[in-house]
Amino acid sequence: MNDELLSQDVHKALAEIGGADIVVGIPSYNNAATIGHVVAATQAGLEKYFPQYRGVIINSDGTSNDGTRDAVLKTGLDKGQLLLVTTPLFPVHRLSFPYHGIPGKGSAFRLIFQIAHHLGAKACAVVDSDLRSITPEWIDLLLRPILHAGFDFVAPYYHRHKYDGTITNSIVYPLTRSLYGLRVRQPIGGDFGVAPGLLKRYLERNDWETDTARFGIDIWMTTIAIAEGFRICQSFLGAKLHNAKDPGLDLSAMLHQVVGSVFRLMQDYQSVWMARTGSQDVDLFGFRYGVGLDPIEVNTDRMLAAFRRGCEELGDVWSTALSRETYETVQKLGRSIDGSENSRIDDSLWAQIILEFAIAYKRQPVERAHLLKSLTPLYLARVASFVLQTKLLASEEVEKEIEHLCLCFEQKKPELIRQWNGENHPSSRKPEKAKL
Amino acid sequence: MLGLLKQIISQTAERISSQVLDYVPGFLAALFILAVALIVAKSIRWMLLKMIKGISIDRFLRKVGLTAGTEKWKAPQLAAQFTYWSILAIGALAALNSFNSQLTTRIIETAVFLFPKLLVAAAIIVISAWLGRYFGRSTLVWAVNENMPSPRLLAAAVRGFFIFSGVVTAADHLDFARSVFIAAFILILGGVVLCAALALGLNGREALHRYLDEGKKGSAESEDRPLWRHL
Repeated sequence: MNDELLSQDVHKALAEIGGADIVVGIPSYNNAATIGHVVAATQAGLEKYFPQYRGVIINSDGTSNDGTRDAVLKTGLDKGQLLLVTTPLFPVHRLSFPYHGIPGKGSAFRLIFQIAHHLGAKACAVVDSDLRSITPEWIDLLLRPILHAGFDFVAPYYHRHKYDGTITNSIVYPLTRSLYGLRVRQPIGGDFGVAPGLLKRYLERNDWETDTARFGIDIWMTTIAIAEGFRICQSFLGAKLHNAKDPGLDLSAMLHQVVGSVFRLMQDYQSVWMARTGSQDVDLFGFRYGVGLDPIEVNTDRMLAAFRRGCEELGDVWSTALSRETYETVQKLGRSIDGSENSRIDDSLWAQIILEFAIAYKRQPVERAHLLKSLTPLYLARVASFVLQTKLLASEEVEKEIEHLCLCFEQKKPELIRQWNGENHPSSRKPEKAKL
Repeated sequence: MLGLLKQIISQTAERISSQVLDYVPGFLAALFILAVALIVAKSIRWMLLKMIKGISIDRFLRKVGLTAGTEKWKAPQLAAQFTYWSILAIGALAALNSFNSQLTTRIIETAVFLFPKLLVAAAIIVISAWLGRYFGRSTLVWAVNENMPSPRLLAAAVRGFFIFSGVVTAADHLDFARSVFIAAFILILGGVVLCAALALGLNGREALHRYLDEGKKGSAESEDRPLWRHL
């Protein structure tokens, strides 16, 4: 936690501002098409809901080359249409800086947090720069629980398409919930509110140069908040409509960063999660309402083909992580999988796979990258299974399916603890196949 | 005539017996040293097997990714066997030394001078094999995720490259057929580079066309890519 990481330009700009009560950060990389709307909604939110506070909007940019920073600084806001009841006492400042260090969302957040800490902010929020559904109310919902109700961390709660956020639904939410006992539905949502105490704690940590610097940041923030006993709530933000993630980005790298962060934090907080059983709801603010969502087309054939290929080629890597029973079930599925009821990765098998990978991640540090990247075909098979299983189901019914998956993870937790502590480790019952 | 024959036989017998008598003490000493070395080696192997059971060497090897390929041999057995044969080798050298001849002295000198080099060469080969295995796996996982053709072949090529590089380095270190290995290495590397250049050149035009087409279609097509909203 030091200000030396802030450049001279940043120091100079902050000195001109002096201080701030609220900081809203927007990380970006080539988001010129959407960031203007996000900035406008944020500024409107600050002026409408927090007119008595000094607000600053910080854009932390990864050296975009499409004019993202210009869009942040030049986007206009028609205040006549805002119908403000109270005239803002202070102007909302907008700043845009390039961040330094490892390219990624986490590094962008780090700069935002450092600036918020430097300005002495009473609350900080971060919102994604690719949002199309953000409204000024989001800013209110992310900040008010901190400023007026004493919460330390506000997680988002959205309505999403049943096939949107599949890493969240299939791995991060069930695993985080079963480990730490709190039902934070969108632990890697990307839009959060953070109190200064938690902000300080984030900046004190020395693991910013890991996957935290990239896509691991969201689960890192949520897990620290939960595991270290900060007060957590959720705010219902409506629909999350956003542009697809960078299509050039490698899925296995993204999976690696997110799941790797979850597994790494499992080691950091093993004394915390081992002591917790079951799970409980988290306070949810905001008025819940139904929303229309963008349809999402999914090509399950391609996913199943990737899985079959994985079974043919990656057996050796999987065999170092999976127990004999799980490995043989997976290989059998590789020969027959078609998404039908008896031929798919069901909840129980999926939970077992993830938990065995978590144990392997702990026990084989050198093989971690291989293990995590080799998870991609299994993940794709699970997503395809889920898509085929829920094809005809409405959102509420899909939510029940996700609940069932979470319960599978919770049921397997005692076994996870036993294996984590060295009892009956899967590698002691290795599959015979070991080719490469 | 008979007397002469007797004399020749007795002189020969004397010479042989004197030569045998010269070697007998050395031979007995060598046998004794070998027997002691064998007893010591067996005792230490037994002790090591008992002691190492308590140390989690297997766990350590699993952590550094060295378990595959040695799964038939447990790490404690490997360590014990290595120690056993090392002691026996030292015993054999000491036994040879007891003959105190020029030949044995030269053999011992060569062995003593070669031993550190052999150790370094073995270490080079082990490290290159480990690197080959690691990067081979990286290539395999990457190739499968990227849907590349023949991922196992690519992985084997990477692994082979590392192992061959290790062998060339080890041979160079031992000064053993240095020019042969280096020439083979350069030839193979040159061949690989030439093949890669030809493949790139022959397919480059098509790939460039595809790339430009993708650029024209812009973001509309990018939505079709498989990376949709996983987070």
